[in-house]
Amino acid sequence: MATSRGIMARKGRRNANKTFELQLTSMMDVLVIIVVFLLKSYNISTHNFSNASGLQLPLSGSQDNPTDSLQVIVTPESITVDQNRILDFQQLAGQMSSKEANYSFRSSDLDEGGRRIIPLYDALIKAKEKTELLLAKSQSRTADGKPLPFEGILAIQADKRVKYDTIKKIMYTAGSAGYKVFRFLALKKDT
Amino acid sequence: MLKRPSARNKAHKEEVELNLVPILDTMVTLIGFLLFTTSFLAIVSIESPLPQASPEQVQEKILEKPLQLTLTLREKEVEIWSPFNKIPTKSIANTPEGEINLKAIHEALIEVKKSFPSETQVVLAPNNTTPYEVLISLMDTIRNLDPTDPSIFIKNEKTGVDEPAKGLFPKVVFGNLLGDT
Repeated sequence: MATSRGIMARKGRRNANKTFELQLTSMMDVLVIIVVFLLKSYNISTHNFSNASGLQLPLSGSQDNPTDSLQVIVTPESITVDQNRILDFQQLAGQMSSKEANYSFRSSDLDEGGRRIIPLYDALIKAKEKTELLLAKSQSRTADGKPLPFEGILAIQADKRVKYDTIKKIMYTAGSAGYKVFRFLALKKDT
Repeated sequence: MLKRPSARNKAHKEEVELNLVPILDTMVTLIGFLLFTTSFLAIVSIESPLPQASPEQVQEKILEKPLQLTLTLREKEVEIWSPFNKIPTKSIANTPEGEINLKAIHEALIEVKKSFPSETQVVLAPNNTTPYEVLISLMDTIRNLDPTDPSIFIKNEKTGVDEPAKGLFPKVVFGNLLGDT
């Protein structure tokens, strides 16, 4: 018994000295493929548009990439400006489906004959003043040495069920707040 | 003392193993960074300027009588017309499913573009109930030329050479922001 234990012990010592090596080559192959795929689908863009939950953007065949600007997110439930929910719609009778939504503005949120959205106007004026202050403090100047002018670009990210009546009110409000260009955002259609 | 030939061969065949662990670390870090920063949602935009008209501009337009191609969306049809009667008014009925006939509108606009190749602007007057999805589809139809569309050539003012048009009417302006319909 003592002899056999001795042989077994020697065998065990021999096995303990052998190091277990993980096969990393196949893992490297997988990782290289993932890196190549991610680099291929890496979308270099200058915008930082956030997405609201439940927002269904329509598809567009446009090739224009939006640059960073102030954005308004419109869903059948609310309007959000620069990450701040500024207005909630009144939900009307009838079920909200994936194709249609029934909502309306509260009369207290509108003025100028129902054309201007008061909370949106206030939020846009506030954002405009903030931008103008930043431009005044910025080192970038025009040829005359004046601060760069306010561009007045507003990105509108609306749910596909949102009606033109709402978009029209938003454009009218933005126009009266000094915004001159609208960018309608959509998801890129695969061609 | 010389080694046996077989022993000499063994001495040369000693394998050099590449240390893959630091490369693996780099890869994992890179994948983490790419996953964190990649935006898988490709967002595109359609630009539209705010319509502005001073009394002088209106006066100028009345004298000039431009095309001012206008698309008015009605309940059951889309009307393509010019306020100065530069083109005959065309009404395109919606499809039997009640949807806007985008294909017919696109074909009608191509015909207009052939007659007015340098024109780039369309005034769009949608219905209040038109959903945003339809607006975007309609703007795509108005702005973009499909690869299957017939070629339209525009004369380059600088070079005097005819060049193929890149888009149909790329500038879309909303014409009824003040109106109720």
